[in-house]
Amino acid sequence: MAQKEIIKMTNEVFEEAFEIESQKLTPEANIFNDLGLDSLDVVDLVVALQKKFGVQIRNDERVRNIRTLGDIYGFIDALGEENKLSLPREN
Amino acid sequence: MQLKRVVISGVGSVSPLGLDVASLLAAIENKQSAVKRMPGWERYRGLRSLVAAPAELANEKEIPRQSRRSMGRMSIFSVQASKQALADSGISESLISSGRMGCIIGSTMGGAESISEAFEIMLPERDLSQLTSMKFFQCLSHTAAMNVAQYLGIKGCVLATSAACASALQAIGAGYDLIRLGKQDAILCGGAEELHPIVTGSFDIIFATSSSYNDNPSKTPRPFDVSRDGLVCGEGAGIVFLEERELALKRGAKIYAEIIGYNTCGSGVHISQSSASAMRQCISEALKSANIKPTDVDYINAHATATIQGDQEEAQAIRNIFGDDVPVSSLKGYFGHTLGASGAIELIVSLAMMQKGQIYPTFNLEKVGDDCRGIFHVQEKLNRDISILVKNCFAFGGINAALVCRKE
Repeated sequence: MAQKEIIKMTNEVFEEAFEIESQKLTPEANIFNDLGLDSLDVVDLVVALQKKFGVQIRNDERVRNIRTLGDIYGFIDALGEENKLSLPREN
Repeated sequence: MQLKRVVISGVGSVSPLGLDVASLLAAIENKQSAVKRMPGWERYRGLRSLVAAPAELANEKEIPRQSRRSMGRMSIFSVQASKQALADSGISESLISSGRMGCIIGSTMGGAESISEAFEIMLPERDLSQLTSMKFFQCLSHTAAMNVAQYLGIKGCVLATSAACASALQAIGAGYDLIRLGKQDAILCGGAEELHPIVTGSFDIIFATSSSYNDNPSKTPRPFDVSRDGLVCGEGAGIVFLEERELALKRGAKIYAEIIGYNTCGSGVHISQSSASAMRQCISEALKSANIKPTDVDYINAHATATIQGDQEEAQAIRNIFGDDVPVSSLKGYFGHTLGASGAIELIVSLAMMQKGQIYPTFNLEKVGDDCRGIFHVQEKLNRDISILVKNCFAFGGINAALVCRKE
């Protein structure tokens, strides 16, 4: 999947599920300090990303290291490299 | 030990008849019905009752996402009603998080919509991986109390009474007792409920719902009427602000009424069938706790949901205590049975009747059923000074509650 598409779909998750304005969604934005998520939100972020990208990441240890939006883009990209992404879903 | 006295000094509601108390009262004045045929309910196989009284979910984004994420409809309704009650009371912000103010909000269950969604997500594949963390907080039985307390920063006693249709009145009764004992100075008390086909369905499968008026929804429910055929579910939240009387007087608060008596008891008879003798016992004990006689009561706001058996038993209980001397009306014809919220929303309307010296009639009561005769049914608006009122709530599980309020 193209990096541009990953960024677009990830940002949609933040806009739809966490009501964050699009201008705040930069690769260096820290999801906790800058975007205001907490540990419970991360559980729901995982669910939303799973749904968006058709992937199972609940038990993926790499989720624990995510700090910035850029980390998420990279993580999704890596999943693509590992052929773990299925076709993106409509919702 | 000298018990403290307790007054109601703030009210708030979100109901099928509007987003606040003023719109609720205006709609009742205009004899409006909030009952509608529910689109899409036909697809539930076996559901006979296709009518309900939905409340409007509006302005929810005024609650920040971080707080709103754990709230289903009923918690949002509760927050909105609580904010209204606090604003109406005019208390200082400092009381809210002082630890001297509490929050008691009851409901039959957690958010019905969220509970249904959680099962819909989980059960088809027996897969929990798509469940969000927030579903749990929306499904909890104390979701309304918890969310209101967290959102407002309440650090006093937080409780959730769960006794179906008596939940709100039990919440108010529990708050009354805590303030009387001096354990809290003020408490937001009330109830909330959320409409969903599974809620109506749970009454429908035991034939307690109205099913003959699906094409004529404003004609049901019909409390005490000869043609009543069951209850109609509604939703919303009703919150009253209870306050220790001396504190309210000291700050010059607007006082709606003093709570002077309360009782709750079980019937010990049957899980779903109402018992006139248990209802009578409950009301009598409430009057006794208020140290008043039946003849002192000026108005009874009945539970009367329009079920065949429930209305008959309540009418009998009222007849046994009050005869046909005291005006009685039910508000469920206007906005259905808001279940866990009903005790509070209906009390709020009753307090407005007390203020105005006017009793709203039982909507849809056209011809009193033979089994409900012998009490003073209010079928037209009645001008009447109300010094003391009794609010009844009777719930599944044989749980009864009655509250007595006196005009300040």
